[in-house]
Amino acid sequence: MRLKFITLKGSFVLLSVTALLTAGCGGDDTANTDELPPVDSTQTTILNINGEIFSIPSPIQTAFLIKNSGAAYSKEILNPASKSSDYSTNFSKALNLGIYGADLGYVTIYDQTQDAIGYLNSAKKLADELGVSGAFDAKTIERFQKNLGNKDSMLVLVGVAYRSSDSYLKNNDRNDVSGLVLAGGWLESLYFATNVYKTKPNEDVKRRIAEQKSSLQSLIKLLTQYYSQPEYTEFIDNLNDLATVFDGVEFKYTYEKPTTDAEKKLTTINSKSEVNITPEQIESISQKVKSIRSQIVG
Amino acid sequence: MKKGLLKLAFVLLGFIAVNSASAQIADTVANACARHLGNQFISDGQQYRALLMNADETAEFHTTLYGGTIYRVAACSGLSDGNLVFSVYDSEHNLLFTNSEFKNAPYWDFKINNTLDCTIEARLDGAQAGSGRAVVLIGFKQAK
Repeated sequence: MRLKFITLKGSFVLLSVTALLTAGCGGDDTANTDELPPVDSTQTTILNINGEIFSIPSPIQTAFLIKNSGAAYSKEILNPASKSSDYSTNFSKALNLGIYGADLGYVTIYDQTQDAIGYLNSAKKLADELGVSGAFDAKTIERFQKNLGNKDSMLVLVGVAYRSSDSYLKNNDRNDVSGLVLAGGWLESLYFATNVYKTKPNEDVKRRIAEQKSSLQSLIKLLTQYYSQPEYTEFIDNLNDLATVFDGVEFKYTYEKPTTDAEKKLTTINSKSEVNITPEQIESISQKVKSIRSQIVG
Repeated sequence: MKKGLLKLAFVLLGFIAVNSASAQIADTVANACARHLGNQFISDGQQYRALLMNADETAEFHTTLYGGTIYRVAACSGLSDGNLVFSVYDSEHNLLFTNSEFKNAPYWDFKINNTLDCTIEARLDGAQAGSGRAVVLIGFKQAK
């Protein structure tokens, strides 16, 4: 049977009583599975669309690709950290929290430690204002500052902070905000890629732009359930317009048997894939991304 | 009227308790799972989770894995390792990996040569009774 993903929004008296009784009893650390009472709910969360969960790749991965392409550091493509005070709604704060996360990854990869502190503080400010406690707490900030100059550790800490934020939002049924943070980060990384491609065309960057087709489809699926909310409507319409441009991007996938090294716990995926994206499509994507982003960052 | 209000308050209280208990469980499992990412892999910033009611239910996680990257997928349920079976399929549903062939290893690394869309399916090990909160975490690092 395929999974029916479950949230606990439903009000079931029996379940509630059971939970009340069990919540006060403490956990059993020796249990193999976290036993829960049966739940009969068909409600789904943002990441559970028709029994499926969608993952959006980290924007830090595209920042790595850009650095590896030989592109120089460009502060101009970032959203200035100083603008964090300009965002007044939860909608704009969430999207820009995602954007600042991508920017933070970018400046860290380029060893811009002073800029990194600025973006960390901006991300913390927006997270605090969104009520996301713990993700950017004093301990995390301190650890980040102690590791300035150690890029790998800094990036690991950024990933942990954003995962904590994601977890907190999901725990508190704020999946809409979680989706917007992902959308902001995704959009910013695509903005990086399209800008870099303009100034320094590169096959890897071109390919990465094309590869956003399926992530965009996932994002639209995640956010569409909020379409009726006024702020979301225009944003999702814009994403749909962007998806129309991506419709023409072609992929060819060829399966090849993977190889596994059990001792190293490593499987190498040998399948091949090709993408076909035209200069006109890249130009259209660039323009659309720039337009959507400018509405978000202001 | 009074009885109705009391019942409503009771239900609401129960709802809050359920949510709180559920969140705590998910966090506990996720924290236990996060240790498998270690400090070499950068988290993708997301925590994927689903409540599995029995071993027949399967959670599906759709993702894109970029070429030139090594990913670590950590999959956990409960506080001890080996409760969750996870399998990775490509877009044509070819099986690329399943940890059931490796004693339900709680994490595995994937070296990706070319970008692909894939599905990670997770289910409870049939040998384990009851339900469980499945948590999947994804970390990455650049392939050398």
